[in-house]
Amino acid sequence: MTEYLIRRAVQSVLVLFLVSVISFALMHAAPGGPLMVMLPKGGSQQAILAQEKNAGLLDPMPIQYLHWLGQLLHGNLGYTYKNHVPVGQILWPTVGNTLILMGVAWVLSLLIAIPWGIYNSTRTYGISDNISTVLAYLGFAMPAFWFGILLQEFLSLDLNWFPLSDMYSMNKQGNIGDLIWHLILPVCVLVLVFLASYLKYSRASMLEVLHMDYVRTARAKGAPEKHVIYRHALRNALIPIITVLGLDLPNLVSGAALTENVFNWPGMGRLFVEMAFAREYAVLMAITMLGAVFVVIGNLLADILYAIVDPRVQLGKKGGTAA
Amino acid sequence: MKGTHKVIYPIAVMTLAGTLLVGYGNGRPAHNAAANETNSALAGQPVDGGTFTFSVSSDIVTLNPLFTNDVPSGDCEQFIYSPIYSIDRKGNLVNDAYSLADQPLNVSDDGLRYTIHLRKNAKWSDGQPVTADDVVFTINALKNPDVGSPGITNYDPVKEVKKLDDNTVEIDMKHVYAPFALNALWAPVLPAHILKDVPAKQLQKNAYGTDPSKTVSDGPWKWTEWKQKQYLKFEADPNYFGPKPHIQDIVCKVYADQNTELQGLLKGDVDEDDEVPVTALDAVKAKHKIHLLTGAGPSYEYIGFNFNASNFPNNFDPFTGDKTRQAIAYALNRQAMVDKILKGTGKLQNGPFLPGSWSDPGDAATNYNYDPNKAKALLQDDGWKSGPDGILQKDGHRFSFELIYNANNSRRQQVAAVVQQELKNVGIECKPKGIDFSAEIDQNLNHGKFQAVLIGWQWNLDPDSESIFSSKYFPPNGQNAGWYQNSEIDKLWVEGDSTIDQAKRKEVYKEIAQKITQDLPYVFMYQVGDPTGFSSKVHWAPDDAPNLALPYGYLFHIQNWWVGTH
Repeated sequence: MTEYLIRRAVQSVLVLFLVSVISFALMHAAPGGPLMVMLPKGGSQQAILAQEKNAGLLDPMPIQYLHWLGQLLHGNLGYTYKNHVPVGQILWPTVGNTLILMGVAWVLSLLIAIPWGIYNSTRTYGISDNISTVLAYLGFAMPAFWFGILLQEFLSLDLNWFPLSDMYSMNKQGNIGDLIWHLILPVCVLVLVFLASYLKYSRASMLEVLHMDYVRTARAKGAPEKHVIYRHALRNALIPIITVLGLDLPNLVSGAALTENVFNWPGMGRLFVEMAFAREYAVLMAITMLGAVFVVIGNLLADILYAIVDPRVQLGKKGGTAA
Repeated sequence: MKGTHKVIYPIAVMTLAGTLLVGYGNGRPAHNAAANETNSALAGQPVDGGTFTFSVSSDIVTLNPLFTNDVPSGDCEQFIYSPIYSIDRKGNLVNDAYSLADQPLNVSDDGLRYTIHLRKNAKWSDGQPVTADDVVFTINALKNPDVGSPGITNYDPVKEVKKLDDNTVEIDMKHVYAPFALNALWAPVLPAHILKDVPAKQLQKNAYGTDPSKTVSDGPWKWTEWKQKQYLKFEADPNYFGPKPHIQDIVCKVYADQNTELQGLLKGDVDEDDEVPVTALDAVKAKHKIHLLTGAGPSYEYIGFNFNASNFPNNFDPFTGDKTRQAIAYALNRQAMVDKILKGTGKLQNGPFLPGSWSDPGDAATNYNYDPNKAKALLQDDGWKSGPDGILQKDGHRFSFELIYNANNSRRQQVAAVVQQELKNVGIECKPKGIDFSAEIDQNLNHGKFQAVLIGWQWNLDPDSESIFSSKYFPPNGQNAGWYQNSEIDKLWVEGDSTIDQAKRKEVYKEIAQKITQDLPYVFMYQVGDPTGFSSKVHWAPDDAPNLALPYGYLFHIQNWWVGTH
C-alpha cells in the first residue's frame, strides 16, 4: 500500500508538471494579453508596451514560465498583471465561497439521491420511481441558470421570500444565518442538477446488483430483505458511484460558472471566466493547477475507496482489479 | 451507506467553466404595474447621512488614476478624488466649490503658458495639505514614459511644469495645444508625499490604488474597504475641503454582468445602475420604485473601413471609391436601428463631434438618409456591376467583406446582422464576425488588420480627434486603425489644435465635419444611449441632476445628492 502510494505520488507530480507546461503555453499562445486594452481616444500604445515591459510580459516565454515556477515552488502564486494584487488574495476566498455553495448542494443531494435511488431500485416504476425519473429529466434537460432565473423571478422578485443574489446582505457580512438564507436558491438549483445524475446512478447500479446470483443466494438463505440490500447489494453497487464521485471531485472547486453568475456568487467559476477574458495568466494558472491537483486526488481517493468497499480489490498488487 | 460517510465526495455539475459567454438572458419580462411617471427624484429637502449603493458589472482594476482605463475604476475615482478643475453641466472647464483650483485657468495670450491657482484649504485624507507639489508630481508622472500611463499623449506637449509657490503651478508648453485644458486638467492629482520615492517603473505595482488603507485621497469620500469581486465601501471624509456631502456612505456593489446588476436594481439592493440593458427597459419602467433616465451618452458607434489593400484578397480594397462609401451609408437604415435595437435610447450621429457641444457642426455634417435606390445608383456610378450571384462585381472582384465586432456585445451583434441584410439588398456581401474583445484588439485593431469594423468611441470633452483620423497615427503606434489618409483633413486637425481661440476652432471643426462626412472613413452610426435607473430613494436638486451626455455624467454632482426613505 505504501509503495503504491509513493508510486502514485511520483506519477502525480509528473502529471502536474506537464499540465503546468501545457496550460502555460496554451494561455500565452491565445491572442491578447492582460495589459491589452481598448485605449481611450488618444491613448498611447507605447505606454502599454512600457507597462508590459515593467510587468515582465516581454520576456521570452520559457523565462516567464521558469519565473512562474520558481515563485510557485516558494509558495507564491504570483500577482495579477493589471493591478499587482497577490493571486492568493483573490483566489482563496473564492475557493472557500465555491466550496460552501457546492459542498452544501453536494451533501444534500447525496443524502437525498442515494437512499432514494436504492428505494426506487426495489420498487421500480412505482410512483416514487416515476417522480424521480421526471426530476432527473428536468435536471438534465433544463439549463441550470434558467431554473435559477425562474426561482429569482418568482421567489425573490415577486414574492420577496428569499434574497436575490450575493452571499450576504450588505449589512450582515459574515453572518451565518444570513449566509444560509442566501444559500437556499442557488443550492436548490445545484441540487436539482446533482440529483439528476446521482438518482440515476444509484438506482441503476443497485438494480444491476440486485439481479446477481449472490443476492439471490442471500435471499435464499433467508437473510432479511434489509440485510440483503444494505449489507450484500449496496457494497457492490457503490463501486460505480465512487468512480463517478472521484472523477467529479475537481468540480467541487471549479464551481458552476453560470449558477454563480446568476446568483452573483463570488466563486471560482465566475472568477475563472472573468480572468480568462482578462487574460490574467497568473490567476488562470493557479486555478488550472488547483483543478489538476483535485483531479489527481480524486482519482487516487477513488482507487483507495474501491479497496475499502470491495475487499477483492488490492491496491498495488498485480491482478488487482482497480490498480 | 457503509463506507460512504467517511470521506466527502465531489459531485458533477452540468455547467463547465470557460464556456460561459455573457448574455444568457434578455432581462426580465415586463410587470403589469403601470409606470410611475412622477419625478420623485426632485422632491423634498436634502437629508444628511444614509448609504448610497452604486453598482458596476465588473470589479475595479485600480483606483490609481495614472493607470485607470476601465469604467468601474473611473466611477469609483469620482467618489474619492477632487479634480484640478471641474466641468460644468455643459462640459466647460471651471473652478467651483469642488475643484482644487479656486480661480479660473489662466492661459497666456500666446497659448504657451498655463497658470493654475490652487485653494489653500485642500487636504488629503491623511490630513496633509494638497499643494503645488502634488500637481507637479502628477503631471511629471503622467509624462514619464517609464511609468506607462496610457494618458501620456495628453501631456506630451508639456515642456515643463513648475511650482511657483505652494498654491501656484505653471505649465510651459512646447507648442500650442488647445485640447490640453479639457483633456488634461479635468483630472485628479496624486499625493506626492506618499508616492514621490516610488521608482517610475514600480508605480503600477505599488499598493496605492489597490489597498484602501494606502490610497490617500482628497475627494468627498474616502475608500475604506475592497472585498474583491463583491463590493467597495467609501465613507464621507472629514478632511474634505468642499461642502460636506449629504450621503455618508457609498457602497459600490460588484455584479457578474449587466443582467445580474439589473436584477439587483429591480430588487432594491442597488440605488443606481447606469448600465440598464435596453432589452429590459420595459421591465424597469414598470417598477414604480425606479426612476429611469434614458438620454444619449458620450459615445458613438461607427462602421470603420480599412484603406489598406493588403487586408483584402488579391489586394483589392472595395472601399476606395467615395461613392461606394456613401452608398453604404445610404443603404443603412440607421434610424430604424436606433428605434428597434437601441429602443430609442440613442440618437443618429453624423460626424465625429459631440452633439450639443460647442463643436457640434450642425447641418455642416452630411446626414445620410435611408435610400437604397440612391445607394444602388451610386454603386453603379462607381463602376460596380451586378454579378451572376446577385453580388456586385468590379474588374472581376466580388463586393464581399468581413465586418468584425466584439463577440459579447449583443447590441453590435444585432446591428451587424441588420447591416448584413441591408447591404445584401443593394448587392453587397457583408459577413459579420464576432471576435473575443482582447483578441480583436491584439490581432485586428492594434495592427490595422481587418476589412471593416463595427465599434465605438467615447468622446473626450475636447473635440480634437486627430489621433484617430490623421495619417500621422497609423498602426501599430496610433489609433487610425483603418489607415485613413486625407492630407487636407490632416492639416485641419492640426489647425484646430494650434489655436486656443474657441471661435476659430469651431470654424475649423465645422469644415472638418463637412469634409469628413463626404469622405466617410467611417459610417457614423449613432450616439449610444446609457439608460440609467435610480431607486426612488435617491434625490437631487435640479442643478445637480445627472447629465448622461457628460463623461461620468450619471454621477454628476453626487456630492449634492441625498438618499431619503423612499
